[in-house]
Amino acid sequence: MRFLMTTKGTDPNPDAAVIAEMGAFIEEMTKAGVLLATGGLEPGGLRMVSSAGEISVTDGPFTEAKEAIVSFALIEARSREEAVELARRFWRIVGDGEGTIQQVFGPEDGPQDGPGPR
Amino acid sequence: MTSLDAHRVVDAVWKMESARIVAGLVRMVGDVGLAEELAQDAVLAALEQWPESGVPDNPGAWLMAIAKRRAVDHLRREERRDRGRERLAHDLVTRGDDGDRDVDDVLGALDGEVGDDVLRLMFVSCHPVLSTEARVALTLRLIGGLRTDEIARAFLVSESAVAQRIVRAKRALADARVPFEVPVGPDRAARLSSVLEVIYLVFNEGYSATAGDDLMRPSLCLEALRLGRVLADLTPDEAEVHGLVALMELQQSRSAARTGPAGEPIVLHEQNRGRWDPLLIRRGFAALLRARQAGGPLGPYVLQAAIAACHAGAATPEETDWTRIAALYEALATVLPTPVVQLNRAVALAMADGPRAGLALVETLTGEPALKGYHLLPAVRGDLLARLGRHGEARAEFERAASLTRNAAERAVLLRRAAACAGQAAEPARATRLPEPSAEPPPAAGRAESGERVTPRTAAQGGRAGGGGAADAGVTLGEAVRLFLTRAGLSAGTVRSYDQTLSRLCRHLGADVPLRDVAAHRVAEVFAAAWGTAAGATWNRHRAALRSFASWAAERGWTAPGLAAPLDRRPEPRSRTRPIDRSRLRLLWERPGIALRERTLWLLLYESASPAEWALSLDVEDLDLPGMRGEVRARGHWLRWQSGTAALLPLLVGDRRRGPLFLADRRPGPGRMPAAADLCPHTGRGRLSYERAEYLFKRATADLDPEGGGYTLHRLRHSRLAHLGEDGWSAPMLMSLSGHADARTLHGFVRVPRPADTVA
Repeated sequence: MRFLMTTKGTDPNPDAAVIAEMGAFIEEMTKAGVLLATGGLEPGGLRMVSSAGEISVTDGPFTEAKEAIVSFALIEARSREEAVELARRFWRIVGDGEGTIQQVFGPEDGPQDGPGPR
Repeated sequence: MTSLDAHRVVDAVWKMESARIVAGLVRMVGDVGLAEELAQDAVLAALEQWPESGVPDNPGAWLMAIAKRRAVDHLRREERRDRGRERLAHDLVTRGDDGDRDVDDVLGALDGEVGDDVLRLMFVSCHPVLSTEARVALTLRLIGGLRTDEIARAFLVSESAVAQRIVRAKRALADARVPFEVPVGPDRAARLSSVLEVIYLVFNEGYSATAGDDLMRPSLCLEALRLGRVLADLTPDEAEVHGLVALMELQQSRSAARTGPAGEPIVLHEQNRGRWDPLLIRRGFAALLRARQAGGPLGPYVLQAAIAACHAGAATPEETDWTRIAALYEALATVLPTPVVQLNRAVALAMADGPRAGLALVETLTGEPALKGYHLLPAVRGDLLARLGRHGEARAEFERAASLTRNAAERAVLLRRAAACAGQAAEPARATRLPEPSAEPPPAAGRAESGERVTPRTAAQGGRAGGGGAADAGVTLGEAVRLFLTRAGLSAGTVRSYDQTLSRLCRHLGADVPLRDVAAHRVAEVFAAAWGTAAGATWNRHRAALRSFASWAAERGWTAPGLAAPLDRRPEPRSRTRPIDRSRLRLLWERPGIALRERTLWLLLYESASPAEWALSLDVEDLDLPGMRGEVRARGHWLRWQSGTAALLPLLVGDRRRGPLFLADRRPGPGRMPAAADLCPHTGRGRLSYERAEYLFKRATADLDPEGGGYTLHRLRHSRLAHLGEDGWSAPMLMSLSGHADARTLHGFVRVPRPADTVA
């Protein structure tokens, strides 16, 4: 099962120890094939709205800084509980903040489970 | 948190940490079974406490700390005299566990690295003393952290079968005193390839899952991938490990595209490449790169991964570099010379150089006994014939292929192609549909080759169920044993000794089976399998235990007298030639990469139980292939072989019509020209010498032989006699098979008939 983890409201300037610990964690998870992709996100970004055939693009920011999603990780876990446990480890390193974990549906999850690309 | 939640959390944590926890515990207590029990104690403690206390900050370390405390208790109880262990226990106790430290801290400080322990545990779980299915079960259980019921569901066998398999495996490791270490030296390569084989077997089991299957089955692929990645991290210099990981990543990248909406298989070049998983492809390429960087000769996994990479790198089927793939298959055929690899090579050749080139190679394979019944042979042949416009022949091939496959979806595809051929006789060749070449892995190749490879599934089907357990069925074996052992007046030593014998009996026959249904010959089978090759003294000790139990039970009317009758006392000084353990021989037969000549000779010696000189003296014209026998003319004796040899001999003979059957590798030098009778008129090579054959066998079996020197051909022959004797063959039968002139030389192989035998 794949899960997308996103975080918001974390410390924008972590100290060197956190960076080093996070680096080691990411490396370990990548080697184990648990972490498939990860990255940080620019605070603002662009907003696109498609409405009645009109597509408009506007520059951010759109939300308060602490509400903006600042990083993501795509992970491969055997169960929801395992994803939670991995996220727990992540937060133990990062400290304060909040985030979401959402399952990414794949073809194996079938059409009834979600609108995943088929 | 409810206890159900706790259960799921504990399970998730356990799966993530079990390998490191169990590995650390094995190092402490020196026994896999005990280590797992201690770890399970910790899991139970978590299930009790976490619903109340919540999940601890570092659940892995928490589990480890509990398990470690249990281990210390255990070590103390055992009051081992080994000072080193006492000190270890002391350190562990005084260090104090706050549960906050990482598992690595807690364990890593003791001795070596946690990672090394996990690697040791992998090697131990895949140890050659275990059967293949036991290795698979133990690896999934200990390294993958899978529960017994999950393994059972994944392999479509009963939970009790898996549990039993694991219990036996742990006992076998303890009995064989398998050291907890990473093998070094010449042993390492063979042991590592056993680990790789187990991982790939797990992968293939998942890969062969179909739409209706339990989800546990396809998830085996991911489990195998995880195992492979962990192993690659621990053995970064082993090219084949990275090769296997690359192969699995690349094959897995196609998982979404390789079946259609109705579960029908879609062949590689008709797959929607947009559904291939680019993340896994990237990982596959990265692993392949690491394999190349590790260097060394290209092994079978690296080569197969390279082939898979050729496919993964092609944006459309037309862009596939078939010339390169054909070359890679050619290289693969030298390290893995199986007919299945050749068949895949033919497919690649057909794509590179046209159907005619492929068909030429396929035609050389049609006589392969190993491919008899293998549906892809006629499927490929039919495809190539269709492409050459020979639709009538193609149709027959497709129909044959359809009749051979066991997969319904595949059968439908083949029948459609047959029908298309029928309707298309006048039209030019159209779309092609080839089997997916790189989906054919070495274990599968081995499977096609031997046809009797023990897979977990077939082994389970062979498993015996326990008794019916009807109320009036009388006392069960298990109850009787318990009552027998708890009688007053038995010393602790006696109980322990008797228990070894009787619990083995319970495990094999089922503790629930009514005692009166236990037949003497079944008991004898268990004895032969368990201790048939043990020293005479061991055999006699177990026999004495059984006799005591049998007469005690017969007094009570629970069993007919004579339960122990078929078991004879054995002479205690061993016979001069000790038989080779059956399980070791099975390893030898299963091993890939053995040259055809060697494989044929060894199987022939084993199956015919004949002296090596006789087998080597055979000429091609002495063979009666349909009769499965060959005449040793100098002796007027017929060697008789069985299906294993029969399958290989035609390959070995090839086009030769006369001259020595087993040929030397090279032509003789001018100074040492052998007699004309020992020269092959076809190749000019001489007859294989006894010395050379002996040397090759010793060298090939050095890693199987506990004494390290390798076995002799003589011992191979005698092993067969011993095994047949165990299986109940009589002296006259053995004499006629083996050509032993004097029954006395067979002493030790057969039991002297007793009245009880002749009645039965």
